[in-house]
Amino acid sequence: MDIYFLRTPNLARFYERIAHDYELFVPKKTDAGPKIKCEHGVNLPADEYLLNRFQDVNKDEIVFNAYRSIEPVRSFFTHLKEQVCNYFNNKEIKPGKPVAVSGVKNCDLYSLKIQDFVFLDGNEPDPFYKARRESALIISGDCPAFKESCFCRAFDINPYADEGFDFNLSPIQEGYLVDAASQKAKSIAATMKDILVPATGNQLQEKADGRERAVKKLDEHLSKHKIPKKETLREIVLAGYNSKVWNEQMRTCVECGGCVFMCDTCHCFLLFDEESSASAKRMRIWDGCLYKNFTRVAGGANPLKMRYMRLRNRYLKKFDFFTANMGTQACCGCGRCIDVCPGKIDIRYILRRLHEEKHIQSI
Amino acid sequence: MKKNIYSPFEAVVEEVRQETPTIKTFVLRPAEPFVFRTGQFIELTVPGLGEAPFTPSSDPGVKDIMDVTIMNAGLVTSKLHAMNKGDKVGIRGPYGAGYPLDKFAGRDILIVGGGVGLAPLRSLLYSLFSDMDKYNKVVLRYGAKTPTDIVYKDLIPKWEKKAKVDVATTVDVADVNWRGNVGLVTNILRDAPVDVKNAVGVVCGPPVMMKFVALKFLEMGLAPADIYLSMEKNMSCGLGKCGHCRIGPFYACKDGPVFTYEQLKELNDIWD
Ligand SMILES: Cc1cc2nc3c(=O)[nH]c(=O)nc-3n(C[C@H](O)[C@H](O)[C@H](O)COP(=O)(O)OP(=O)(O)OC[C@H]3O[C@@H](n4cnc5c(N)ncnc54)[C@H](O)[C@@H]3O)c2cc1C
Ligand code: SF4
Ligand code: SF4
Ligand code: FES
Repeated sequence: MDIYFLRTPNLARFYERIAHDYELFVPKKTDAGPKIKCEHGVNLPADEYLLNRFQDVNKDEIVFNAYRSIEPVRSFFTHLKEQVCNYFNNKEIKPGKPVAVSGVKNCDLYSLKIQDFVFLDGNEPDPFYKARRESALIISGDCPAFKESCFCRAFDINPYADEGFDFNLSPIQEGYLVDAASQKAKSIAATMKDILVPATGNQLQEKADGRERAVKKLDEHLSKHKIPKKETLREIVLAGYNSKVWNEQMRTCVECGGCVFMCDTCHCFLLFDEESSASAKRMRIWDGCLYKNFTRVAGGANPLKMRYMRLRNRYLKKFDFFTANMGTQACCGCGRCIDVCPGKIDIRYILRRLHEEKHIQSI
Repeated sequence: MKKNIYSPFEAVVEEVRQETPTIKTFVLRPAEPFVFRTGQFIELTVPGLGEAPFTPSSDPGVKDIMDVTIMNAGLVTSKLHAMNKGDKVGIRGPYGAGYPLDKFAGRDILIVGGGVGLAPLRSLLYSLFSDMDKYNKVVLRYGAKTPTDIVYKDLIPKWEKKAKVDVATTVDVADVNWRGNVGLVTNILRDAPVDVKNAVGVVCGPPVMMKFVALKFLEMGLAPADIYLSMEKNMSCGLGKCGHCRIGPFYACKDGPVFTYEQLKELNDIWD
């Protein structure tokens, strides 16, 4: 294992080296509120982080994000709106400079597995996703704290990463432990001997203790939310097909699409064409099943014509379809859909309700 | 970068046949020979406007030209209907699984079509006709709204004359010249000359019609695994990626569009 110690003042230099070969994105604090008291009386941080282009942020604004960013990390691999072909000429659409993303968390890495399943596996891989994914450098980081909406551990996803990254940063006294896991990361690390020194046994212990503390605090908080275990998710959404919870919860949905767009495991898109003749091009935009016309067919028939059907559909897709096809649920517990929803629709509550209803019915 | 999965290749409209007031058959010549299995579908591009999914209606044995029978139903299809000989379109595909012809061998094949739903079945019929020794018999039952709405008016009489082939047509509403059956297609199913113990049922048409035909098949004694349905779903990519066409644990574009009733029977609201 290649684990080094990086002193805090050298973080900017670490990033500068990477920015030399990559289009680098780094975490910046965009909102630093006072702590909030959650519904269970626990004091929790209200800070928000965005992943900004390294060139665009003042070096003193770069932070180590204590938990996941506002934006879903999938946005670096499929763009909200992008051109995917120039029609009949199979002319190459030039991939940009490879991206390096820092501030990635373990929930995001779980989500990337879902995105990989969609865009790399199956009949034919998506050439744009594949090119970006293969060339990217992922710099993940442990979560020393969590947000009110975080519930990764409810689905056995840890607030730190063991795999799926190139570099991983673990905050310790006076700096970070830098784990160079991939070949790519190892060769970059080899050029940074001036700022990366081998980690000591004490530092490794400090990292392990930090992780353990984070897990303990999060588990304590989540025990109050009573979120069903991941093994039961498929069963409860199928059993809850006719549950009242869909109709009750959809009442405050304004169909903004926030939940699907902010979600790191959602992946749906729509192809559409722009302009005509020689300059015609095919675009791909993110789409979502909370929108009314998502499943409408010619003549106007629509299997998801009511809002409650669309809300339910999102859960069936995540917990039935993905469990059946990929063996795991398409939800990482990042809570982004909870934070964004103007209707205060909370996935933790819906899952708990489904679980309770299934439980009571089976008595 | 290797092949771009979103790029169509070019095809030229070689002929346009008016089937009914709202349905036309387009004969397309793709820039390169096009191989598909019966029941698979394509994404057809109107340059600059967009794509829509269609099932080729011609003989899969013919590779240099391909027929697509299209009902004028909206944005893309109305633009297609305005096209003439020489116009250019784009094709992606073929996609989906198609009909499992191996499983039809030695069986009575009862095929039921409604409206423009006869289009994919026409390609299935040609596939069966090209290898009739393999199958016991082919029984086709077709329903249209009125006599004017019948597609392939000049082809159906030719199919009727073939050995081991039995054809009957019905219309919901007759006109003065109509001498045939009147009523829903389910009415001319009961007497279909098939041995239900050894039959497969294939249906393609509007969702309500498929529902009632599937129920009729079951009532007649066909096994759920021997009933083949063409599921019409909103589609965008055709590749199992965009998420639009989900049916339970399946994607219609990738796992279908042809499904057995056995695959779908436990799922909720499949006919909506
Ligand atoms: C596998 C498959 C095979 C088909 N084969 C045939 C055929 O052989 N002949 C035929 O006439 N019709 C066929 N259809 C139906 C045909 O695809 C629709 O009539 C067509 O998409 C309508 O497009 P539009 O732009 O004219 O309609 P609009 O209502 O204007 O559609 C606008 C958009 O809605 C979506 N959409 C609407 N209806 C459908 C639909 N049924 N399926 C998928 N997306 C839809 C599309 O994204 C489309 O761009 C088939 C559909 C499927 C799924
Ligand atoms: S974020 Fe909330 S209001 Fe917006 S579409 Fe999703 S459920 Fe509806
Ligand atoms: S459904 Fe909500 S909690 Fe789950 S991955 Fe998506 S945004 Fe995160
Ligand atoms: S059409 Fe895109 S997943 Fe089926």
